Amino acid sequence: MTLDWSIVPASAGALAHGALITIALTVLTMAVAVPCGIVVALLRESRFKPIAFLATCFVELFRNLPIILVVYWAFYVMPVVLDLSFSPFVTGLVALCLNNTAYNSETFRSGIRSIRKGQTEAALAMGMSEGQAFRKIVLPQAWRRVLPVLATTWVTLFKDTSLVSVIAVGDLAHTAMQIRSQSFRVIEMLTAMAAIYWLLGYPQAKLADWIHKKFGVTE
Amino acid sequence: MTIATAPQTAATVLQYRDVQKLYGDFVALQGVSMEVKKQQVVCLIGPSGSGKSTLLRCTNALETIDGGEILFDGVRLPKDRTAIRKVRQRMGMVFQNFELFPHKTAIENVIMGPSTVLGLSDEASRDRAEALLKKVGLADKAKNYPANLSGGQQQRVAIARALAMEPEVMLFDEPTSALDPETIGEVLNVMKALADDGMTMIVVTHEMTFARRVADHVVVFERGEIIEQGPPKQIFEAPTTARTRDFLGHLGWDG
Ligand SMILES: Nc1ncnc2c1ncn2[C@@H]1O[C@H](COP(=O)(O)OP(=O)(O)OP(=O)(O)O)[C@@H](O)[C@H]1O
Ligand SMILES: [Mg+2]
Repeated sequence: MTLDWSIVPASAGALAHGALITIALTVLTMAVAVPCGIVVALLRESRFKPIAFLATCFVELFRNLPIILVVYWAFYVMPVVLDLSFSPFVTGLVALCLNNTAYNSETFRSGIRSIRKGQTEAALAMGMSEGQAFRKIVLPQAWRRVLPVLATTWVTLFKDTSLVSVIAVGDLAHTAMQIRSQSFRVIEMLTAMAAIYWLLGYPQAKLADWIHKKFGVTE
Repeated sequence: MTIATAPQTAATVLQYRDVQKLYGDFVALQGVSMEVKKQQVVCLIGPSGSGKSTLLRCTNALETIDGGEILFDGVRLPKDRTAIRKVRQRMGMVFQNFELFPHKTAIENVIMGPSTVLGLSDEASRDRAEALLKKVGLADKAKNYPANLSGGQQQRVAIARALAMEPEVMLFDEPTSALDPETIGEVLNVMKALADDGMTMIVVTHEMTFARRVADHVVVFERGEIIEQGPPKQIFEAPTTARTRDFLGHLGWDG
Protein backbone atom coordinates (compact mmCIF):
# COMPACT_ATOMS: atom_id res chain seq x y z
CA MET A 1 0.00 0.00 0.00
CA THR A 2 1.37 3.39 -0.95
CA LEU A 3 0.59 6.46 1.03
CA ASP A 4 0.40 9.85 -0.62
CA TRP A 5 0.49 12.54 2.05
CA SER A 6 0.43 15.37 -0.48
CA ILE A 7 -3.36 15.25 -0.25
CA VAL A 8 -3.13 16.78 3.21
CA PRO A 9 -1.37 20.05 2.33
CA ALA A 10 -3.42 20.18 -0.85
CA SER A 11 -6.60 20.17 1.27
CA ALA A 12 -5.25 22.53 3.92
CA GLY A 13 -7.63 25.33 3.01
CA ALA A 14 -10.71 23.13 3.15
CA LEU A 15 -9.59 21.49 6.39
CA ALA A 16 -8.92 24.87 8.01
CA HIS A 17 -12.37 26.01 6.97
CA GLY A 18 -13.85 22.82 8.45
CA ALA A 19 -11.91 23.36 11.67
CA LEU A 20 -13.27 26.91 11.90
CA ILE A 21 -16.81 25.60 11.56
CA THR A 22 -16.14 23.05 14.30
CA ILE A 23 -14.83 25.79 16.56
CA ALA A 24 -17.77 28.06 15.69
CA LEU A 25 -20.22 25.27 16.53
CA THR A 26 -18.56 24.71 19.89
CA VAL A 27 -18.42 28.38 20.82
CA LEU A 28 -21.95 29.18 19.65
CA THR A 29 -23.41 26.11 21.34
CA MET A 30 -21.87 27.08 24.65
CA ALA A 31 -22.82 30.73 24.20
CA VAL A 32 -26.45 29.64 23.90
CA ALA A 33 -26.45 26.63 26.23
CA VAL A 34 -24.89 28.36 29.24
CA PRO A 35 -27.51 31.11 29.67
CA CYS A 36 -30.27 28.73 28.61
CA GLY A 37 -28.96 26.18 31.11
CA ILE A 38 -29.27 28.77 33.88
CA VAL A 39 -32.81 29.62 32.81
CA VAL A 40 -33.88 25.97 32.65
CA ALA A 41 -32.28 25.32 36.05
CA LEU A 42 -34.31 28.22 37.48
CA LEU A 43 -37.50 27.08 35.78
CA ARG A 44 -37.07 23.67 37.42
CA GLU A 45 -37.11 25.40 40.80
CA SER A 46 -40.16 27.46 39.84
CA ARG A 47 -42.95 27.74 42.38
CA PHE A 48 -45.36 27.30 39.49
CA LYS A 49 -45.46 23.50 39.30
CA PRO A 50 -46.44 22.97 35.63
CA ILE A 51 -43.45 25.07 34.54
CA ALA A 52 -41.10 23.15 36.80
CA PHE A 53 -42.52 19.93 35.41
CA LEU A 54 -42.06 20.96 31.77
CA ALA A 55 -38.50 22.04 32.47
CA THR A 56 -37.78 18.68 34.09
CA CYS A 57 -39.25 16.86 31.09
CA PHE A 58 -37.05 18.88 28.75
CA VAL A 59 -33.92 18.03 30.70
CA GLU A 60 -34.67 14.36 31.12
CA LEU A 61 -35.55 14.01 27.46
CA PHE A 62 -32.52 15.66 25.91
CA ARG A 63 -30.04 14.43 28.48
CA ASN A 64 -30.94 10.86 27.75
CA LEU A 65 -31.15 10.88 23.95
CA PRO A 66 -28.00 10.23 21.90
CA ILE A 67 -26.92 13.48 20.29
CA ILE A 68 -26.81 11.93 16.86
CA LEU A 69 -30.48 11.01 17.19
CA VAL A 70 -31.34 14.60 18.12
CA VAL A 71 -29.35 15.73 15.10
CA TYR A 72 -31.37 13.45 12.80
CA TRP A 73 -34.63 14.56 14.37
CA ALA A 74 -33.71 18.19 13.99
CA PHE A 75 -32.82 17.57 10.37
CA TYR A 76 -35.67 15.34 9.22
CA VAL A 77 -38.51 15.76 11.67
CA MET A 78 -38.35 19.36 12.84
CA PRO A 79 -39.01 20.80 9.34
CA VAL A 80 -42.07 18.57 8.92
CA VAL A 81 -43.59 18.82 12.39
CA LEU A 82 -42.74 22.39 13.30
CA ASP A 83 -42.52 23.69 9.77
CA LEU A 84 -39.10 25.07 10.63
CA SER A 85 -36.24 24.46 8.29
CA PHE A 86 -32.78 25.87 8.69
CA SER A 87 -29.46 25.44 6.99
CA PRO A 88 -27.57 22.30 8.07
CA PHE A 89 -25.28 24.47 10.20
CA VAL A 90 -28.15 26.01 12.17
CA THR A 91 -29.91 22.66 12.40
CA GLY A 92 -26.78 21.07 13.86
CA LEU A 93 -26.43 24.01 16.22
CA VAL A 94 -30.02 23.60 17.43
CA ALA A 95 -29.44 19.92 18.16
CA LEU A 96 -26.22 20.56 20.04
CA CYS A 97 -27.85 23.39 21.99
CA LEU A 98 -30.77 21.22 23.06
CA ASN A 99 -28.44 18.54 24.39
CA ASN A 100 -26.03 20.95 26.06
CA THR A 101 -28.73 23.13 27.59
CA ALA A 102 -30.08 20.02 29.28
CA TYR A 103 -26.63 19.09 30.56
CA ASN A 104 -25.70 22.59 31.67
CA SER A 105 -28.98 23.05 33.50
CA GLU A 106 -28.10 20.04 35.63
CA THR A 107 -24.65 21.46 36.22
CA PHE A 108 -26.10 24.79 37.31
CA ARG A 109 -28.79 23.19 39.40
CA SER A 110 -26.32 21.23 41.49
CA GLY A 111 -24.01 24.26 41.65
CA ILE A 112 -26.83 26.47 42.89
CA ARG A 113 -27.99 23.84 45.37
CA SER A 114 -24.49 23.53 46.78
CA ILE A 115 -24.74 27.11 48.07
CA ARG A 116 -26.12 27.08 51.61
CA LYS A 117 -29.67 28.32 52.03
CA GLY A 118 -28.38 30.66 54.72
CA GLN A 119 -26.64 32.72 52.04
CA THR A 120 -29.93 33.48 50.31
CA GLU A 121 -31.57 34.13 53.66
CA ALA A 122 -28.84 36.56 54.66
CA ALA A 123 -29.43 38.42 51.39
CA LEU A 124 -33.22 38.40 51.81
CA ALA A 125 -32.89 39.51 55.43
CA MET A 126 -31.07 42.61 54.16
CA GLY A 127 -34.08 43.40 52.04
CA MET A 128 -32.81 42.15 48.69
CA SER A 129 -35.33 40.74 46.26
CA GLU A 130 -35.07 37.07 45.37
CA GLY A 131 -33.67 38.06 41.99
CA GLN A 132 -30.97 40.23 43.56
CA ALA A 133 -30.11 37.49 46.06
CA PHE A 134 -29.71 35.04 43.19
CA ARG A 135 -27.70 37.30 40.89
CA LYS A 136 -25.45 38.92 43.46
CA ILE A 137 -25.00 36.22 46.06
CA VAL A 138 -25.87 32.74 44.82
CA LEU A 139 -24.79 32.80 41.19
CA PRO A 140 -21.29 34.26 41.70
CA GLN A 141 -20.59 31.56 44.28
CA ALA A 142 -22.14 28.82 42.18
CA TRP A 143 -19.88 29.78 39.25
CA ARG A 144 -16.84 28.50 41.10
CA ARG A 145 -18.42 25.08 41.41
CA VAL A 146 -19.90 25.14 37.95
CA LEU A 147 -16.88 26.30 35.97
CA PRO A 148 -14.84 23.08 36.20
CA VAL A 149 -17.83 21.03 35.09
CA LEU A 150 -18.53 23.41 32.21
CA ALA A 151 -14.88 23.09 31.16
CA THR A 152 -15.25 19.32 30.93
CA THR A 153 -18.51 19.72 29.04
CA TRP A 154 -16.75 22.07 26.64
CA VAL A 155 -13.99 19.55 25.87
CA THR A 156 -16.57 16.83 25.25
CA LEU A 157 -18.68 19.15 23.15
CA PHE A 158 -15.74 20.05 20.93
CA LYS A 159 -15.42 16.40 19.96
CA ASP A 160 -19.17 15.77 19.85
CA THR A 161 -19.67 18.49 17.24
CA SER A 162 -18.35 15.90 14.77
CA LEU A 163 -21.74 14.18 15.09
CA VAL A 164 -23.40 16.92 13.06
CA SER A 165 -21.31 15.86 10.06
CA VAL A 166 -24.05 13.30 9.36
CA ILE A 167 -26.30 16.09 8.13
CA ALA A 168 -23.59 17.61 5.94
CA VAL A 169 -22.62 20.52 8.10
CA GLY A 170 -19.25 21.54 6.70
CA ASP A 171 -17.39 20.96 9.97
CA LEU A 172 -13.95 19.39 10.23
CA ALA A 173 -15.19 15.80 10.33
CA HIS A 174 -17.53 16.27 7.39
CA THR A 175 -14.92 18.10 5.32
CA ALA A 176 -12.28 15.44 5.93
CA MET A 177 -14.71 12.65 5.08
CA GLN A 178 -15.69 14.43 1.86
CA ILE A 179 -12.08 14.76 0.76
CA ARG A 180 -11.50 11.13 1.68
CA SER A 181 -14.34 9.89 -0.48
CA GLN A 182 -13.28 12.01 -3.44
CA SER A 183 -9.56 11.17 -3.24
CA PHE A 184 -9.76 7.64 -1.80
CA ARG A 185 -6.93 8.67 0.53
CA VAL A 186 -8.55 7.05 3.56
CA ILE A 187 -5.61 6.58 5.90
CA GLU A 188 -4.10 9.95 5.08
CA MET A 189 -7.30 11.87 5.69
CA LEU A 190 -8.28 9.98 8.82
CA THR A 191 -4.81 10.58 10.21
CA ALA A 192 -4.89 14.26 9.32
CA MET A 193 -8.32 14.56 10.87
CA ALA A 194 -7.18 12.84 14.07
CA ALA A 195 -4.12 15.09 14.24
CA ILE A 196 -6.15 18.27 13.83
CA TYR A 197 -8.79 17.27 16.39
CA TRP A 198 -6.06 16.30 18.81
CA LEU A 199 -3.99 19.44 18.30
CA LEU A 200 -7.03 21.61 18.83
CA GLY A 201 -8.50 19.51 21.62
CA TYR A 202 -5.38 18.95 23.70
CA PRO A 203 -4.85 22.58 24.78
CA GLN A 204 -8.53 22.80 25.66
CA ALA A 205 -8.26 19.70 27.79
CA LYS A 206 -5.19 21.15 29.52
CA LEU A 207 -7.04 24.39 30.12
CA ALA A 208 -9.91 22.41 31.61
CA ASP A 209 -7.45 20.60 33.90
CA TRP A 210 -6.09 23.94 35.01
CA ILE A 211 -9.58 25.23 35.74
CA HIS A 212 -10.27 22.08 37.75
CA LYS A 213 -7.14 22.66 39.78
CA LYS A 214 -7.83 26.32 40.31
CA PHE A 215 -11.51 26.10 41.19
CA GLY A 216 -12.13 22.44 41.88
CA VAL A 217 -11.20 21.73 45.48
CA THR A 218 -10.98 25.07 47.24
CA GLU A 219 -13.73 26.07 49.62
CA MET B 1 -26.20 46.24 86.30
CA THR B 2 -25.07 48.96 83.96
CA ILE B 3 -28.09 49.47 81.76
CA ALA B 4 -30.95 51.71 82.56
CA THR B 5 -34.14 49.82 81.80
CA ALA B 6 -36.09 51.34 78.94
CA PRO B 7 -38.86 53.52 80.27
CA GLN B 8 -42.21 51.78 80.49
CA THR B 9 -43.75 54.41 78.27
CA ALA B 10 -41.39 53.66 75.36
CA ALA B 11 -43.03 52.89 72.06
CA THR B 12 -43.63 49.26 71.18
CA VAL B 13 -41.47 48.18 68.25
CA LEU B 14 -42.63 44.60 67.97
CA GLN B 15 -45.74 43.01 69.32
CA TYR B 16 -46.47 39.28 69.10
CA ARG B 17 -50.06 38.23 69.71
CA ASP B 18 -50.85 34.55 70.11
CA VAL B 19 -48.40 33.60 67.35
CA GLN B 20 -48.62 30.09 66.00
CA LYS B 21 -46.26 28.40 63.55
CA LEU B 22 -46.72 24.92 62.11
CA TYR B 23 -44.41 22.74 60.07
CA GLY B 24 -46.92 20.27 58.70
CA ASP B 25 -48.42 18.70 61.83
CA PHE B 26 -45.55 19.83 64.00
CA VAL B 27 -46.31 22.81 66.23
CA ALA B 28 -43.16 24.94 66.28
CA LEU B 29 -44.75 27.94 68.02
CA GLN B 30 -47.95 28.09 70.01
CA GLY B 31 -49.66 30.98 71.77
CA VAL B 32 -46.58 33.18 71.73
CA SER B 33 -47.36 36.66 73.03
CA MET B 34 -44.70 39.16 73.90
CA GLU B 35 -43.62 42.70 73.28
CA VAL B 36 -40.39 44.48 72.42
CA LYS B 37 -40.14 48.16 73.25
CA LYS B 38 -37.91 50.75 71.73
CA GLN B 39 -34.32 50.50 72.98
CA GLN B 40 -35.07 47.30 74.84
CA VAL B 41 -32.86 44.22 74.74
CA VAL B 42 -34.98 41.09 74.84
CA CYS B 43 -33.20 37.76 75.27
CA LEU B 44 -34.85 34.53 74.19
CA ILE B 45 -33.59 31.47 76.01
CA GLY B 46 -34.69 27.86 76.19
CA PRO B 47 -33.66 24.36 75.20
CA SER B 48 -32.71 23.34 71.69
CA GLY B 49 -35.69 22.99 69.37
CA SER B 50 -37.94 25.15 71.52
CA GLY B 51 -38.73 27.59 68.70
CA LYS B 52 -36.44 30.54 69.41
CA SER B 53 -34.96 30.70 65.91
CA THR B 54 -38.37 30.13 64.42
CA LEU B 55 -39.73 33.20 66.21
CA LEU B 56 -36.87 35.35 64.88
CA ARG B 57 -37.39 34.03 61.37
CA CYS B 58 -41.10 34.81 61.58
CA THR B 59 -40.25 38.31 62.76
CA ASN B 60 -38.55 39.25 59.49
CA ALA B 61 -40.88 37.07 57.44
CA LEU B 62 -38.31 34.49 56.41
CA GLU B 63 -41.11 32.23 57.63
CA THR B 64 -44.83 32.94 57.54
CA ILE B 65 -46.97 32.42 60.63
CA ASP B 66 -50.07 30.25 60.74
CA GLY B 67 -51.96 32.01 63.49
CA GLY B 68 -52.01 35.17 65.58
CA GLU B 69 -50.20 38.27 64.45
CA ILE B 70 -46.92 40.11 64.60
CA LEU B 71 -47.06 43.89 64.58
CA PHE B 72 -43.98 45.87 63.63
CA ASP B 73 -44.21 49.52 64.53
CA GLY B 74 -47.94 48.98 65.01
CA VAL B 75 -48.47 47.47 61.57
CA ARG B 76 -49.14 43.82 60.87
CA LEU B 77 -46.35 42.11 58.91
CA PRO B 78 -47.38 42.33 55.27
CA LYS B 79 -47.87 39.44 52.87
CA ASP B 80 -46.96 41.33 49.72
CA ARG B 81 -43.35 40.67 48.71
CA THR B 82 -42.36 44.25 48.02
CA ALA B 83 -43.82 45.32 51.35
CA ILE B 84 -41.97 42.50 53.11
CA ARG B 85 -38.71 43.73 51.61
CA LYS B 86 -39.40 47.19 52.99
CA VAL B 87 -39.95 45.72 56.45
CA ARG B 88 -36.78 43.61 56.25
CA GLN B 89 -34.77 46.69 55.38
CA ARG B 90 -35.73 48.07 58.77
CA MET B 91 -34.58 44.97 60.66
CA GLY B 92 -31.03 43.64 60.87
CA MET B 93 -30.36 39.95 61.29
CA VAL B 94 -27.25 38.20 62.56
CA PHE B 95 -26.93 34.47 62.07
CA GLN B 96 -25.27 31.74 64.06
CA ASN B 97 -23.04 30.84 61.09
CA PHE B 98 -22.35 34.49 60.19
CA GLU B 99 -23.41 33.96 56.58
CA LEU B 100 -20.98 36.53 55.28
CA PHE B 101 -20.76 36.48 51.51
CA PRO B 102 -17.50 34.59 50.91
CA HIS B 103 -16.89 36.08 47.46
CA LYS B 104 -16.84 39.61 48.89
CA THR B 105 -14.31 41.28 51.15
CA ALA B 106 -15.31 42.43 54.62
CA ILE B 107 -16.00 45.96 53.46
CA GLU B 108 -17.83 44.81 50.33
CA ASN B 109 -20.08 42.73 52.56
CA VAL B 110 -20.97 45.84 54.52
CA ILE B 111 -21.34 48.03 51.42
CA MET B 112 -23.73 45.62 49.74
CA GLY B 113 -26.85 46.59 51.72
CA PRO B 114 -26.58 50.36 51.40
CA SER B 115 -25.60 50.23 47.73
CA THR B 116 -27.82 47.43 46.40
CA VAL B 117 -30.84 47.74 48.61
CA LEU B 118 -30.89 51.35 49.75
CA GLY B 119 -29.45 52.66 46.51
CA LEU B 120 -26.88 54.89 48.18
CA SER B 121 -24.00 56.20 46.08
CA ASP B 122 -20.76 54.18 46.08
CA GLU B 123 -19.08 56.87 48.09
CA ALA B 124 -21.79 57.17 50.72
CA SER B 125 -21.98 53.37 51.04
CA ARG B 126 -18.23 53.11 51.47
CA ASP B 127 -18.12 55.88 54.06
CA ARG B 128 -20.85 54.21 56.02
CA ALA B 129 -19.15 50.80 55.79
CA GLU B 130 -15.79 52.20 56.89
CA ALA B 131 -17.34 53.87 59.91
CA LEU B 132 -19.12 50.66 60.89
CA LEU B 133 -16.04 48.46 60.51
CA LYS B 134 -14.24 50.92 62.72
CA LYS B 135 -17.05 50.71 65.23
CA VAL B 136 -16.74 46.92 65.46
CA GLY B 137 -12.95 47.23 65.67
CA LEU B 138 -12.11 45.86 62.25
CA ALA B 139 -11.01 48.89 60.23
CA ASP B 140 -7.71 47.14 59.48
CA LYS B 141 -9.43 44.01 58.12
CA ALA B 142 -11.62 45.78 55.56
CA LYS B 143 -9.94 44.13 52.58
CA ASN B 144 -9.87 40.61 54.03
CA TYR B 145 -12.09 37.95 52.60
CA PRO B 146 -14.22 36.14 55.21
CA ALA B 147 -12.06 33.02 54.83
CA ASN B 148 -9.15 35.06 56.20
CA LEU B 149 -10.98 36.26 59.29
CA SER B 150 -11.46 34.48 62.61
CA GLY B 151 -14.97 33.47 63.62
CA GLY B 152 -15.28 36.38 66.01
CA GLN B 153 -14.10 38.81 63.34
CA GLN B 154 -16.54 37.37 60.80
CA GLN B 155 -19.40 37.78 63.22
CA ARG B 156 -18.43 41.37 63.90
CA VAL B 157 -18.38 42.06 60.16
CA ALA B 158 -21.81 40.43 59.97
CA ILE B 159 -23.04 42.80 62.69
CA ALA B 160 -21.60 45.77 60.77
CA ARG B 161 -23.30 44.49 57.62
CA ALA B 162 -26.65 44.40 59.39
CA LEU B 163 -26.11 47.83 60.94
CA ALA B 164 -25.31 49.30 57.53
CA MET B 165 -29.02 49.23 56.77
CA GLU B 166 -29.57 51.47 59.82
CA PRO B 167 -32.19 49.09 61.17
CA GLU B 168 -34.71 49.93 63.85
CA VAL B 169 -34.30 46.54 65.47
CA MET B 170 -31.55 43.91 65.41
CA LEU B 171 -32.29 40.20 65.53
CA PHE B 172 -29.46 37.98 66.77
CA ASP B 173 -29.77 34.21 66.43
CA GLU B 174 -27.19 32.61 68.72
CA PRO B 175 -24.47 34.95 67.47
CA THR B 176 -21.74 33.32 69.56
CA SER B 177 -22.69 29.64 69.40
CA ALA B 178 -20.35 28.84 66.52
CA LEU B 179 -17.39 30.68 68.03
CA ASP B 180 -14.27 29.54 69.82
CA PRO B 181 -14.46 30.49 73.50
CA GLU B 182 -11.65 33.04 73.10
CA THR B 183 -13.57 35.06 70.52
CA ILE B 184 -17.00 35.03 72.14
CA GLY B 185 -16.14 38.00 74.32
CA GLU B 186 -15.28 40.34 71.45
CA VAL B 187 -18.67 39.74 69.84
CA LEU B 188 -20.58 40.10 73.09
CA ASN B 189 -18.74 43.37 73.75
CA VAL B 190 -19.86 44.75 70.39
CA MET B 191 -23.42 43.72 71.17
CA LYS B 192 -23.24 45.26 74.61
CA ALA B 193 -21.98 48.52 73.11
CA LEU B 194 -24.88 48.46 70.66
CA ALA B 195 -27.32 47.96 73.50
CA ASP B 196 -25.74 50.86 75.38
CA ASP B 197 -26.22 53.00 72.27
CA GLY B 198 -29.92 52.30 72.57
CA MET B 199 -30.39 49.77 69.77
CA THR B 200 -33.54 47.69 70.07
CA MET B 201 -32.44 44.05 70.07
CA ILE B 202 -33.84 40.55 70.23
CA VAL B 203 -31.11 38.08 71.11
CA VAL B 204 -31.44 34.32 71.08
CA THR B 205 -28.61 33.14 73.28
CA HIS B 206 -27.21 30.48 75.52
CA GLU B 207 -24.90 33.05 77.10
CA MET B 208 -26.72 33.43 80.40
CA THR B 209 -24.24 35.92 81.79
CA PHE B 210 -24.90 38.18 78.82
CA ALA B 211 -28.67 37.79 79.17
CA ARG B 212 -28.44 38.53 82.83
CA ARG B 213 -26.28 41.63 82.42
CA VAL B 214 -27.63 43.16 79.24
CA ALA B 215 -31.25 42.09 78.82
CA ASP B 216 -34.16 44.23 79.91
CA HIS B 217 -36.53 41.35 79.42
CA VAL B 218 -35.95 37.61 79.24
CA VAL B 219 -38.32 35.16 77.58
CA VAL B 220 -38.04 31.43 78.27
CA PHE B 221 -39.20 29.05 75.54
CA GLU B 222 -39.98 25.38 75.75
CA ARG B 223 -41.56 23.25 73.04
CA GLY B 224 -42.77 26.26 71.10
CA GLU B 225 -44.36 28.00 74.04
CA ILE B 226 -43.33 30.76 76.38
CA ILE B 227 -43.12 29.23 79.81
CA GLU B 228 -42.02 32.36 81.59
CA GLN B 229 -40.97 35.93 80.85
CA GLY B 230 -39.88 38.87 82.90
CA PRO B 231 -36.91 40.98 83.95
CA PRO B 232 -33.63 39.07 84.18
CA LYS B 233 -33.60 39.42 87.95
CA GLN B 234 -36.82 37.50 88.20
CA ILE B 235 -35.90 34.82 85.65
CA PHE B 236 -32.45 34.13 86.99
CA GLU B 237 -32.96 34.68 90.69
CA ALA B 238 -36.55 33.78 91.34
CA PRO B 239 -38.01 31.82 88.42
CA THR B 240 -41.65 31.18 89.04
CA THR B 241 -41.91 27.91 87.17
CA ALA B 242 -40.18 24.64 87.91
CA ARG B 243 -39.42 24.22 84.22
CA THR B 244 -37.43 27.44 84.07
CA ARG B 245 -35.52 26.31 87.15
CA ASP B 246 -34.87 22.95 85.47
CA PHE B 247 -33.63 24.59 82.30
CA LEU B 248 -31.31 26.99 84.12
CA GLY B 249 -30.14 24.23 86.46
CA HIS B 250 -29.36 22.14 83.40
CA LEU B 251 -27.04 24.87 82.13
CA GLY B 252 -25.29 24.88 85.46
CA TRP B 253 -26.73 28.27 86.31
CA ASP B 254 -26.81 28.66 90.06
CA GLY B 255 -28.43 32.05 90.33
N1 LIG C 1 -38.19 24.02 58.06
C1 LIG C 1 -38.58 23.23 59.06
N2 LIG C 1 -39.33 22.14 58.81
C2 LIG C 1 -39.74 21.34 59.82
N3 LIG C 1 -39.45 21.53 61.11
C3 LIG C 1 -38.72 22.60 61.43
C4 LIG C 1 -38.23 23.51 60.42
N4 LIG C 1 -37.52 24.48 61.03
C5 LIG C 1 -37.55 24.19 62.36
N5 LIG C 1 -38.27 23.07 62.57
C6 LIG C 1 -38.55 22.47 63.91
O1 LIG C 1 -39.10 23.44 64.73
C7 LIG C 1 -38.61 23.30 66.05
C8 LIG C 1 -38.09 24.63 66.54
O2 LIG C 1 -36.90 24.93 65.82
P1 LIG C 1 -36.00 26.18 66.15
O3 LIG C 1 -34.91 26.15 65.18
O4 LIG C 1 -36.86 27.39 66.21
O5 LIG C 1 -35.45 25.82 67.60
P2 LIG C 1 -34.44 26.66 68.48
O6 LIG C 1 -35.15 26.98 69.74
O7 LIG C 1 -33.88 27.77 67.70
O8 LIG C 1 -33.32 25.58 68.80
P3 LIG C 1 -31.72 25.72 68.83
O9 LIG C 1 -31.37 26.22 70.19
O10 LIG C 1 -31.26 24.32 68.61
O11 LIG C 1 -31.32 26.64 67.74
C9 LIG C 1 -37.56 22.20 66.02
O12 LIG C 1 -38.13 21.03 66.54
C10 LIG C 1 -37.25 22.04 64.58
O13 LIG C 1 -36.95 20.70 64.29
MG1 LIG D 1 -31.98 28.13 66.83
